[in-house]
Amino acid sequence: MKLSKIVALACLAALMTASAALAGPAWDNIEKTKVLRVGLMTDSIPGAFYNDKKEWVGMDVDMAEELAKRLGCTLERVAVNNKTRIAFVQQGRIDVSIANMTHKRERDKSIDFSITYFFDGQKLLAKKGQFTKWEDFVGKKIATMQGTTSEINIKNLLKELGDADADKNVISFQKESECYQALKMGRVAAWTTDSTILLGYAAQDPGQFELVGDFFSNEPYGMGLPEDDSKLRDAVNFAIQDMWADGTYMQIYNKWYGPDTPYAFPMTEQIEMWP
Amino acid sequence: MTRLLLEKRWVQLGLLLTLLASAVYYWGWVFDFGYTFDWSVLFTVNKTYGEHYGLLLLMGVCWTVVISLVSAVAALGLGICFGLGRVSQFRPVFWLSTAYVEFFRNTPLLVQLLFWYFAFPMALPEGAREVVFGFQVTFATFLPTWLEWMLPAWLADMHFGFEFMTAVIGLSAYTGAFMAEVIRAGLQSIPKGLLEAAYSSGLTYPQVLRKIILPVAFRAIIPPLGSEFLNNMKNSSLAMFVGVAELAWSSQQVESMTFRGFEAATAASALYLTLSLVISAVLNAVNVKLRVGQTTCTPGERLLRRVVDPLCAGCELATRPARRLLERAAAHRRAARGMTYSPARAALNSAAARTWGLLVLAAKAAFLAALAFVLYSAARGLWNFNWAVIADNFRTMLIWRLPTDDPSEIMGGTGGLAMAILMAVIAITASFPLGLLAGLGRTSSNLLLRVPSTLYIEIIRGNPLIMVIFWVYFFIPVLTGTFLHVFWSATIALTVFTGAYLAEIVRAGVQNIPPGQFEAAFSTGLSYYRVMRHIILPQALKQMIPPIVGQFIAIFKDTSLAYVLGVMELTNVTMVLNNRLMIYPIEMYTTAAFLYFVCCYAMSTYARRLELRLSPERQSLHM
Repeated sequence: MKLSKIVALACLAALMTASAALAGPAWDNIEKTKVLRVGLMTDSIPGAFYNDKKEWVGMDVDMAEELAKRLGCTLERVAVNNKTRIAFVQQGRIDVSIANMTHKRERDKSIDFSITYFFDGQKLLAKKGQFTKWEDFVGKKIATMQGTTSEINIKNLLKELGDADADKNVISFQKESECYQALKMGRVAAWTTDSTILLGYAAQDPGQFELVGDFFSNEPYGMGLPEDDSKLRDAVNFAIQDMWADGTYMQIYNKWYGPDTPYAFPMTEQIEMWP
Repeated sequence: MTRLLLEKRWVQLGLLLTLLASAVYYWGWVFDFGYTFDWSVLFTVNKTYGEHYGLLLLMGVCWTVVISLVSAVAALGLGICFGLGRVSQFRPVFWLSTAYVEFFRNTPLLVQLLFWYFAFPMALPEGAREVVFGFQVTFATFLPTWLEWMLPAWLADMHFGFEFMTAVIGLSAYTGAFMAEVIRAGLQSIPKGLLEAAYSSGLTYPQVLRKIILPVAFRAIIPPLGSEFLNNMKNSSLAMFVGVAELAWSSQQVESMTFRGFEAATAASALYLTLSLVISAVLNAVNVKLRVGQTTCTPGERLLRRVVDPLCAGCELATRPARRLLERAAAHRRAARGMTYSPARAALNSAAARTWGLLVLAAKAAFLAALAFVLYSAARGLWNFNWAVIADNFRTMLIWRLPTDDPSEIMGGTGGLAMAILMAVIAITASFPLGLLAGLGRTSSNLLLRVPSTLYIEIIRGNPLIMVIFWVYFFIPVLTGTFLHVFWSATIALTVFTGAYLAEIVRAGVQNIPPGQFEAAFSTGLSYYRVMRHIILPQALKQMIPPIVGQFIAIFKDTSLAYVLGVMELTNVTMVLNNRLMIYPIEMYTTAAFLYFVCCYAMSTYARRLELRLSPERQSLHM
């Protein structure tokens, strides 16, 4: 009887230590602990991913490190995916989510966003030399990720182009990697999501895939922040602006998207119109 | 005094209602979820996306139902074939069936589905792949054109393509293996004397099979077969990973579009529970109808009888003319055949018998040739594997080490197979006491214990594991205000899930002990605790060992589902590696399946040995 009680207590203690800090107003918590908890993706190349040395790298990771440095905190990296990135911010599990998040009004009902720190748009990735414009994809199968704005955008685009079966032709997977696999094995004619993600995957098989057509959506990326915590939001916004002003941002950008990288992605106008 | 009071039914009921009322009050008004509920997402059109998410969920139910039905029928077919194969005298058929059953039972369904979807088409030649990918069927395909107006738009809209086909193949192959085992057990439970009597009365093997074996066996196996149908429906939730928009998928969709996770999960759980209840009701009705020799009925069964009996009587009445006609035709044929054969007739008969024998021989040869071809291509496929890739990543799949000092790692960077085993061990250990308590609670006559235990067991068993995982994942933080590592929330979900299944095993074990033993023990003045501890549980636990080990194997396979939360267990590691290597999906998924298989098969072999050692017949030999 006694033994079982001790075991139960030990288990409880183990559970408690395994859990992280309690939820609370994020800014006060950051001030107190000097730890910035940032949610990052694990399979978004080149945003945030595990490289072949099993290191967690990417543009978002560098942004997170720079942000923590400027806020005078140590960085705690928390793995998130497209299902958990908003829930974690809502629950207070993380302070900032830097995870390919398009700033959308529907999302703003649940969490707050920083100013835009990256500007992307949605495109279609397909096998090289088979397609030239959007219209070529009418009636073809297209892969995308479940529960993303990309899913809605592509359905709307196909409907606009006159595809009667738009809803059926869009196949939604759980992960980007699954979409890419489906494209590779020829299950779908194209995979659509934000173009940088597509570039990241296409760079794995150089010369086999290409982006087709123009952007068909604007995807201003913001950092996800807890609702109604204006001190944190200010601090993050100022940090991003300072990074832009002193050139650190361009350094990070060129490291991942510069002309010499496999993911070369020219800086667009929208991002240069920053304050 | 209190004990006496507690035994009164009205006191128990009153206490239960008070508990319920206070729980409703506490969770409804006092407790701060830090979350405002908005149930309107389920029955209004979302303004941002212009979509009705309640309808989306109902559409998910349709997909779940269609997938479950189609795969259940296919699985039953496979189960009958391979179940018969498992008792076949012809060795190659026996070997093939055994290999099928052992392999498909001992690898996780998720890995099988991913294999069928992402790896299998890569093994096909280019032309075949085009055909497979081009597969497209709708309900309208099966209907003649003049009846098409009968299809409502939403049914006509359902397109069954490659995703649906993969889900059905994966599910039916998996469920079929379990059904084959159930059917084999049913066949082997037929008394030998019955078969001998049948053969000696001059029936041929096909006749014996059709008239004696299958009817008798099926009656015995309906309850376990029914639970396989139920499992099949719940397992269909995994089809979301290959892009089928079934119920679990739709609830995910609602969650990620509106961020209303609680509302979406509640609706999906309620729908799954309804489906489970409907299936159980149908199965129970069949069971009650087919049962022979037992006259006592529980109130629920009596209610079922009241619905089923008129239905059956109506069917019988409606089909009566047709059956009469058939019977009369059969009688005519018998009369015309006469009692003696003419010589010509006898010669014809023996010629027919010889031809039949030759045909069987030819079929056996063809089977052997086909088997040899399959083995040859499998061996050639294995030979052509890129073994270097497997060798390079094998260590990672076994233990997976992340770079050190990363806050997101747990247990020093454990992952892969090691983490799957760790999760299974923790879940098994923790779920055992839970299952024991709930199982005993369910057998108790005290409502205060029985009602909560029953609720826990039925709610958990009525839902797929993936829903339980989502619940634990999203609601432990809300309820406790702490954040668990995903590893822990997955393990807790597995524990809660296994607990409910163990509870049913415990209940069956305890109810198997003759009631006389309880009475004798109580009359010697032992307390409930001591009766259970010293008399009932030692006997019951021994009987429970085979199903408990079966449950442990199941939970080990189910750790693969933790991948949805991003736990770095074997399936997730395989996906991450596959993702980086890109061009070796067959190698990676086969290796993962092989690793799972080795562990599960070892466990089941050990269980069989344990069962033999513990069986009372064996033990008495040692005395």
